[in-house]
Amino acid sequence: MAETHGEVLQGTLDLIVLKTLEALGPLHGYGIAMRIQQVSEDLLKLNQGTLYPALLRLEQRGWISSKWGVSDNNRKAKYYTLTRSGRKQLLAETESWERMAALMTRLLGRAEGA
Amino acid sequence: MEWLQVMVARLTGLFRRRVLDAELDRELSVHLEALTEENIRRGMTEQAARHAARRAFGGLEQTKESYRDRRGLPFFETLAQDLRYAVRMLVKSPGFTLVTVLTLALGIGANTGLFSLVNSVLLGNLPVRNPEELVVVKYTDSRSQQAQEDFSYPMYQALRDKNTAFRNVLTRSGVDFNASYGGQSERATGEMVSGNYFETLGVRAFLGRLIGPEDDRTPGAHPVAVLSYGYWQRRFGSDAAVVGKDLILNNNPIRVIGITPPGFYGTEMARNPDIRVPMMMATVFRPVPANRLENPRHRWMTILARRKPQVTVGQAQASLDILYHQVLAAELQERESSINAHDKERTLASRIQLEPGNQGFAHLRTEMERPLLLMFCVTGIVLLVACANLANLLLARNAKRKQEISVRLAIGAGRGRLIRQWLTESLLLSVLGGCAGIFVAYWAETALLGFLPADFSANLQAPMDFRVLGFALLASLFTGLLFGLAPAFQLSHAGVSITLRHDSPSIASGERIFCLRSALIFLQVALSLPLLIGAGLFLHSLENLRGVSTGFVKENVFLTTLNPAMNGYPRERIKSLYDDLLALVRAMPDVRAASLTTSSVISGGWDQEGVKVEGYLPGADENMSPNAAIISPGYFATMGIPFVEGRDFTEQDTAARPKVVIINETMAHYFFGNKDPLGKKIGTEDDPKAPPDREIIGVVKDAKYVRLSEAPRRHFYAPMAQELRLLDMTLQVRTSGDPEKIGNLVRAQVHDLDANLPLYATTTLEIQIDDSLMQERLITWLSSLFGLLATLLASLGLSGIVAFSVSRRTREIGIRMALGAQPDDILRHVVGHMAFLVTAGMAVGLAAAYGLSRLLGSMLYEVGSADPRAFAGSCFLLGVVAALAAYWPARRATEVDPVVALRYE
Repeated sequence: MAETHGEVLQGTLDLIVLKTLEALGPLHGYGIAMRIQQVSEDLLKLNQGTLYPALLRLEQRGWISSKWGVSDNNRKAKYYTLTRSGRKQLLAETESWERMAALMTRLLGRAEGA
Repeated sequence: MEWLQVMVARLTGLFRRRVLDAELDRELSVHLEALTEENIRRGMTEQAARHAARRAFGGLEQTKESYRDRRGLPFFETLAQDLRYAVRMLVKSPGFTLVTVLTLALGIGANTGLFSLVNSVLLGNLPVRNPEELVVVKYTDSRSQQAQEDFSYPMYQALRDKNTAFRNVLTRSGVDFNASYGGQSERATGEMVSGNYFETLGVRAFLGRLIGPEDDRTPGAHPVAVLSYGYWQRRFGSDAAVVGKDLILNNNPIRVIGITPPGFYGTEMARNPDIRVPMMMATVFRPVPANRLENPRHRWMTILARRKPQVTVGQAQASLDILYHQVLAAELQERESSINAHDKERTLASRIQLEPGNQGFAHLRTEMERPLLLMFCVTGIVLLVACANLANLLLARNAKRKQEISVRLAIGAGRGRLIRQWLTESLLLSVLGGCAGIFVAYWAETALLGFLPADFSANLQAPMDFRVLGFALLASLFTGLLFGLAPAFQLSHAGVSITLRHDSPSIASGERIFCLRSALIFLQVALSLPLLIGAGLFLHSLENLRGVSTGFVKENVFLTTLNPAMNGYPRERIKSLYDDLLALVRAMPDVRAASLTTSSVISGGWDQEGVKVEGYLPGADENMSPNAAIISPGYFATMGIPFVEGRDFTEQDTAARPKVVIINETMAHYFFGNKDPLGKKIGTEDDPKAPPDREIIGVVKDAKYVRLSEAPRRHFYAPMAQELRLLDMTLQVRTSGDPEKIGNLVRAQVHDLDANLPLYATTTLEIQIDDSLMQERLITWLSSLFGLLATLLASLGLSGIVAFSVSRRTREIGIRMALGAQPDDILRHVVGHMAFLVTAGMAVGLAAAYGLSRLLGSMLYEVGSADPRAFAGSCFLLGVVAALAAYWPARRATEVDPVVALRYE
C-alpha cells in the first residue's frame, strides 16, 4: 500500500504538466520531470518514463505543442510549449480541482470533527 | 471535436513510423543522459549513475510500448499484422485455400444472386419520384372477398375530381397496337394513360414532351403518342428525328411527341409498354364497346394515386370509400329498373381498399414472392452446410497446427489474441470467398433472369447495387465468424502443457475436437436431407404436371396469333380474311386440320362469360361465368378433343341461322345433371329479360384450358360466324410432320393476303405448354441442384471425419488387430459411430422436412406433403452417398498393419 501512496492519477499528471509549462515556459521532458520532483519534494513517486506517453496525449489533444531545440548544455532536445487551448484547459482543470479539493476538505474535516 | 483531433493525430501517427520511433529514441536517450550526468555531478561513479538513472526513469521498453500504442491505432496495427500472417498461412497451403474459397464463392454467390433478385423483384420501387407516396386503388368484391382493381372511367373521373386526400389520381389501361412505320408493320405493346399520368408519377421527357392534361380532353381527338426509350432504341435506332413524325397505329396516323427516359417502365414491373397514347383515344383503339368512356358498367382501367404528404393511407382510404359509395349509389339510382335488391346490396357492400403503390401494380411479383423466398431459404441452408464443412476443415487443419499453437501460448500469447488471429484468418478467407462469390452471383443472376419473362427481366435494374454488395459483405463476415469460431471453441479448453508435449494422436487426445466435428456432421446431414426431400417433392410435382391428362393432343400443332380488327377493317373484310386464310392453310401439304380460336390452351389467359341456362335457377351468389371461347369449325379436330355427343359447328352455322353452342362435360353435368343437354338453350345477353337463345348442339370432353394444374372447369364454345367481337384470333394448325416447318409457309401466306398484318406469339403447342411450366421447372432445377450440393458437402465432411478418426485411432486399431479382430469388426467399429450420427441427422432432417413441406402446399401439384416417394428416395440417396463417403476412408483402417501401428508413436 505504501507504494501506491505516491502514485499519480492520470488527470493529475496532466494538470501538473500543464501547470509546470505555464510556470516555466517551454521545457523539455527532462526539465519537466526535474521540476515535478523538485516541487513535490519526492512526495510523488513518478517513473519519469510515464511522462512521455502523457506528453504525447496532451499534444494529440492540442494542449501543448513540441519542437526540437537546443538545451542549455548544447544538446538537441524536444521542447514542449503550452498552447492557447492548453491554457484554457489548465484554467478549467484548476477550477474543477479546487472545487473538488474544497469539497474533500469540507467532507473530511466534518468527518474528523464528528 | 477533441476526439476528432486525437483521431487525426493518431492516424498521422500510423505513417512515418520509423522516423517517429527514432525521434522517441533520441528524446528518451537525451533524458537518460541528462539524468546520468546529474548523478555523476552528485558524485556517483559512471556505472552507478547510469543504473540510478535507469531506475528513476522506469522501464524503457514499457515506456516506448505505451507511447507507441498511444501514438498510432494499435487495433489496426495488430490487424495488419494478423492479416500479413494470415496471408502467409493461406499461401503456404494453397489447396486448402482454394477449396475453401471455392466453397464459399459458391455458397455466398448463390445467396447473393438470389438476394439480388429478391432485392430488385420484391424490394425494388417504381422508377418514379417519391414512390412511397403512391397507392394502388382497389375495391373488395363482396362475393369473392378478393381485391379487384378494374374501375370504370366515370368512377375514375369522380375519384379524381372529388377526392380530398390525393394530390393526383392517374389511370391507365393496357392496349396492343399494330404499329407501322416506313412500310413495316409489327405488333407493339401499349398503354392508354390519363392526361395526368406523367405528372403524377413525376417523370420528365427524355426527348420532346410527354402526354399532358391538354392531350386528354376530347374522345378520339388527340392523335399523339409517347414512345418508351427501349422501343425507340430498338425500333428506330435512337433516331431523334422520329419525334414529330407520324406512326400508323391500327390504321390511324399518330404523331410521336416524345420519348420517356431510360429506366422508366410505367406502373408495373412485369410490363414495359412500347407506346403510350392518351386515355381519350380509347374510342379509337378499343372501339368496342363504343360507350366505354361513359358507361359505368364497363370496368377496364386501373388507378394509381399520389397521396398528399400529410394524409395517411388510412385517412385516404376512409375518405375515398365515402366518395366511392356516393358514386355507386348514384349509379344504382340510374339503373334502378334493371337491378334486383340482392345485386344492389352486393354492389354497395363493396369497399375501397388502398394498397402501397411504391411498387405499382405488382401482379407478377406477388406470384414470384413465394418461390423466390423459398429459394432464398434454400441457398441460406446450403451456406450453413458449407459453413459446417469449413469449420470441420479448419478443425482438422488446426489439429495439425498444435505445435505452433502451443509454442505461441507458451511464449505468452493470450488466448484472446490467438482467437483474434484465427478469426482474422477465417474472415480473410470468407471475404475472398465473398469477392469470388460476387462473380458467381452475377453469373447466377444472369442465368436465373433467363427463366423470367423477357419484359420482366429487362425492367430489373442495377442488379449489383450497394444493397447487394452490402449483403455479400455481411454474408461473408457472417460465414467467416461462423466457421472461424469452431477452432476458437476448441482452443479455449486446450492447455499449454498438453500441447507442448510432443503430441501424438493417442486414444485420449482430440476427443473434444472429435465431438465437435461429429456434431457438425450431424448438423450437415440434418440440414441436407430436407433440401433433398424438397427437391424430390418438386420433382414429383413436375412429373405429375408433365404427365397430366390434358384432354387434347399437344404434339404437332403450330400456333400463331393475328388481329386484323386492329387495322380498323370492317367486319366483312375480317370475316373473309379469316375464311380465306383457313382455306389456304388447310390446302397446304402436311396440314391435317386448321382452325381459329380466341383462346389458345395453356397460354395463361382465358375469357369468362356470364350465362343464363334454360331450366336452371342459380343461387344468389352462384358463379355463373364459365370459360368461353369463340372458335371456327374444325377446332376440335385440330386439338384432338373428342365429342361425347352431338356435332361440331359447320360452315352452315352462319349469323343468319339459329345460334348454337357446344359445351364441355363438366358444364353439362353442372347444369343438367344426368339429363341430356342437347337441344337445351343458354343465353349470354346482359339484359335479364332476354330468354336464353343459344342451342346446345354438342358436348365435348373436358380439357385443361388456362394451366395444367387447374381443376376441371365449365366451358362453352360459340362459333365465330355468329359472334360480333373478333379480337385476337389464334390460328392453330395440326400437321403430320414438324409443326415449325409450316411456320414459314403460313407467314408467307398471311403476308400475301395482307402485308400489313403482323403475326405474333408464333410457337408450337408443345413449346407453349413447356413455357407454362417455367416456374416449376426453375424451382425443381434449383432445389435439386442445391440439394445435391448440400449432400455433396456433407459427404465430404463425413469422409474427412472418418479419415480423422481412423488416423487418430491407428494404435487402437493395431492393438485390436493384434488381438485377433477381423477387418469386418474393425470396419464396423470405425463406421458404427458415423452410422449412428448419420441416422440421427436423418431422423431430425425427416422431422424438419415433414414439418416444412406443409408450407409448400399449393406449390405442389397432386403431391402430398408426406409424399413417400420423395421422402424414401431422398433418404436412400443420402444414405448411399453417406455410406460411400464413410466407407472409402474407413477401408484404410482395415489395411492397418498391427506391427507398424504399434510402433506408430
